[in-house]
Amino acid sequence: MKRLPVRKSKGISYAKWGYIFIAPFFITYAIFVLYPQMLTIYNSFFENYRSGLKQVGPNFVGLENYVKLFTPDKNGTIDILKYAGNTVILWVGGAIPQITIALLLAIFFTSYRLKIRGQQFFKTVIYMPNLIMASAFSMLFYTLFSPVGPINALLTDWGMIDATLDFFSQKITVRGMIMLMNFLLWFGNTTILLMAGIMGIDQNMFEAAQIDGANSVQVFFRVTLPLLMPILVYTIITALIGGLQMFDVPQVLTNGGGTPNRTSMTLIMFLNNYLKTSKNYGMAGAISVIIFIITGILSLIVYRSLTKQDN
Amino acid sequence: MKKALALLLALVMVLSLAACGSSEPAATEAPKADAPAAEAPAEAPAEEPAAEEGKVFRIYAWNEEFKGFFEKYYEVPEGITVEWVINPNDGGVYQDKLDEALLNQANAPADEKIDMFLAEADYILKYTDTEFTQDITALGVTDFSNTYEYTVQAASDSNGVVKGVSFQCCPAALIYRRSIAEDVLGTSEPAEVQELLNSWDKFNAVAADAAAKGYYMTASEAATFRVFSNNTSAPLVNEAGELVLDEAITTWQAQAKNFADNGYTLTADIWSDECTAQMFADGKTMCYFGPAWYFNFSMGNAQDPEKGCYGDWAICQGPQAHFWGGTWLLAATGSDNPTMLADVMDTFINDEEVCKALIENEAQFTNNQAVNAAFAEDPNYGNEFLGGQNDVAIFVELAKNIRFENKTIYDQLLTEGLQGYWREYCDGTVTEEEAMANYYKYINEKYPEIVTP
Amino acid sequence: MTHTNSSDSRKARMMLQASRAVVYAILIFLSFLCLFSFYMLIVNSTRSNADLQGGFRLAFSDQFFVNLYNAWTDASIDIPRGMLNSFIIAASSAVLSTYFSALTAYGIHAYNFKLKKAAFTFIMAIMVIPNQVYAVGFYQMCVRLGWTNSYIPLILPGIAAPVVFFYMKQYMESVLPMEIVDAARVDGSGEFYTFNRIILPMLKPALAVQLIFSFVQSWNNYFLPALLLDKAEMKTVPIMIAQLRSADYSKFDMGKVYMFILLAILPVMIVYFCLSKFIIKGVTAGSVKG
Repeated sequence: MKRLPVRKSKGISYAKWGYIFIAPFFITYAIFVLYPQMLTIYNSFFENYRSGLKQVGPNFVGLENYVKLFTPDKNGTIDILKYAGNTVILWVGGAIPQITIALLLAIFFTSYRLKIRGQQFFKTVIYMPNLIMASAFSMLFYTLFSPVGPINALLTDWGMIDATLDFFSQKITVRGMIMLMNFLLWFGNTTILLMAGIMGIDQNMFEAAQIDGANSVQVFFRVTLPLLMPILVYTIITALIGGLQMFDVPQVLTNGGGTPNRTSMTLIMFLNNYLKTSKNYGMAGAISVIIFIITGILSLIVYRSLTKQDN
Repeated sequence: MKKALALLLALVMVLSLAACGSSEPAATEAPKADAPAAEAPAEAPAEEPAAEEGKVFRIYAWNEEFKGFFEKYYEVPEGITVEWVINPNDGGVYQDKLDEALLNQANAPADEKIDMFLAEADYILKYTDTEFTQDITALGVTDFSNTYEYTVQAASDSNGVVKGVSFQCCPAALIYRRSIAEDVLGTSEPAEVQELLNSWDKFNAVAADAAAKGYYMTASEAATFRVFSNNTSAPLVNEAGELVLDEAITTWQAQAKNFADNGYTLTADIWSDECTAQMFADGKTMCYFGPAWYFNFSMGNAQDPEKGCYGDWAICQGPQAHFWGGTWLLAATGSDNPTMLADVMDTFINDEEVCKALIENEAQFTNNQAVNAAFAEDPNYGNEFLGGQNDVAIFVELAKNIRFENKTIYDQLLTEGLQGYWREYCDGTVTEEEAMANYYKYINEKYPEIVTP
Repeated sequence: MTHTNSSDSRKARMMLQASRAVVYAILIFLSFLCLFSFYMLIVNSTRSNADLQGGFRLAFSDQFFVNLYNAWTDASIDIPRGMLNSFIIAASSAVLSTYFSALTAYGIHAYNFKLKKAAFTFIMAIMVIPNQVYAVGFYQMCVRLGWTNSYIPLILPGIAAPVVFFYMKQYMESVLPMEIVDAARVDGSGEFYTFNRIILPMLKPALAVQLIFSFVQSWNNYFLPALLLDKAEMKTVPIMIAQLRSADYSKFDMGKVYMFILLAILPVMIVYFCLSKFIIKGVTAGSVKG
């Protein structure tokens, strides 16, 4: 049947191959994601946890877990919203410099005017942090910034501080460290992706723009940025995923406590608290569903706003 | 075109070979540490072990302490391999992993069954009163004539069935720097220091004197926690499942805040580097609290040959008698090595040679009263780390005061959490209300069944 | 005219020099930030525990091989075993996710079928969902199927990797002209043959990039393995590293701890150094074509 003339029958006769090619993805997705997802949602309506070595539940409790999640404490804080706020702050604080600086570097590296030397070296070096396991990186940061660590010793030696500076008891320093780590971990990766995107742009476009008398700022906003949009969307979306999943860095840095005053506790850390010890699948399920909804809304906003520009 | 892919594949393969290759020498090298155990299985078929017992003895533990003693002082029967599963205590990881394994014990293949696991005073109750542990008297461990009574009581279920033994007895003392005591109190003699620090009022007053001279009374605001928490009149969680902070605990909270505000103490976790850095010779801290195991397990910095201050320490009872920790060996139900299990337990409480070695070489205070008493009375015995002081003699006295009571299965994490969240208040980062609210949230996450205020 | 012209060009050259200086300053600063932690790590891995307790030092010491031996032969943190385990998982899942993502992307890129748009939108929609969100159900499923302490649930899900898919799809849009596919069909090439023998080689740079990215991601993955793996002999490197932060290990030999961390990141570094040139060149060369 394949000997039939191909030209006209392209659309329909090959359709089944499309299904065959995408089948493994969807089958795997159904087994390893969709089914667990449904199970998680189902769990969120039950009381189901471990007390010592005894199992409590599962007992159907309706929406009780959700009600619990949204009941404010005595000081009027609704925990899950606080942690969602933390997550967004930590993400934005890392992602904005990450993407701006990566964009800047990508332009430097690809600029025919600047002709940066040692590109290979710089590219290799800035990408390196991305290879480190986040937990190992935070371990390292912890030892560097600990009250008896080298940073404190240095600052004291230089006479910049007279008492030990406890980086881990201040909201601003803990969050700052987390943002800095996330930035360092990811900006090299983003730079390389954006660079590839810029180099993929047809050189004639730049030449045409230059002939038309555009300066480099104009070239960037009129030519580079619009053409870079697809890859920029990819970058921002992956950064968003990373941000929402933020766990290892604050978890290891604060030893699971999200200190101080739980201001560096992210949503996933909150979820993790229920998964350990109590194995409280009811509450963990409810938190998962909330995160799922937040994720959905965020991705919709990002996708919409970015594709609108694209079109 | 394929070159690049080929290169990639080649590299992946080289790397995997490297990984495989390099793991092999490790596999042969690693057992060197426990050579008798490791070489045995190869010979095992030739000479079968006496009974029809398992070839793998699996022990769950949360650190290396007991493992070190076990490997040094216990001779593993031929044909048996000892496997250690070590998970950190911190944050309840050890308990989580142990619980999973115990719940799965019935379905596990014989050689993967847990034979023995270690437990601390803070959560031993969780295991003794269940069917996951077994009666050790039935296994042949029957001689408790020399052990301290509280260690047996702690390892027994509510019907008095004994499920395990402790290899140590843990009366805790006030451990002080002699040179600093000399400066602050005018003496470093244990009896005189005790006289000056035998109540909390005196202790708090001396803290002010120490601060005036530029010293810290303690290196952590939680250093005194165990002294208070061990002298409560009720458990942390009452019959109705409600969290109730005893007066002793609230007294500690007030003291911690007071000490932190006045600069009498650093605010740091008791296990942190910041706290132990104070043990170096140039440290400024006068007091620590701890039992015999504290010397070797936590005071490594003090023993450092270059920067430490070996010999500049001494112990006395301090403001209140208390005990801290202790490692119990519990017999897991379903163990396929009952003979060895009983033998291990018996060795660590009744073998005099082993107990002597634990005191002489490891600075332990053993769970054998006869051996302890012999050292206490020996005029030639002295602990060089403590400037030649006979610590065993003091511990023997302190051991008489130990009562194992007001414990719950939740103590480890409740204690860990309270110290952590209260520290934020001591640091001044949160208000008292916020600190307690955070603590209650933490409890709700860890133990949904506990009712918090 | 000529006069102003030359002064203009001098001015421009000065501007260029100045901006070049600024750019280099930024690059050097960022490189310093990136290298500093590595440098500290390597220096610290050459120092003895007692030395480390003494504080900060920039100079190398001579304990490297002692630490290496201690870390490599440590009985409770079996790092060689952990590295092997991590490698098996990371390599398999990287290969699976790269191949099947390319396959899926090709399926959507090259064929027209009724659900094409729906399938694409669906994958885009699920892309942002963190995998921890279904951890509860995932764990329960694994318990029911006896998949705890198994590598299956850590490897197979790699087949459905929306992010890798998205990258492949973007890449195909820029470099894959459909004429090639048509030409192959005229030559009588089967669809799978076309994909494996003609399309895949064209995607080489993208495959290499994603192979590395997926490998690194899987190698560093902590959340799911920590939930699923209990047995000491199955633990992966990140689980071992996380253990080091807890109190019971803080009395550890710190020189050994730094060595553990160094060993944990080493394999990825090696792969990266071998392939970095190739990746960067590959990516850019591939893109320029489009």
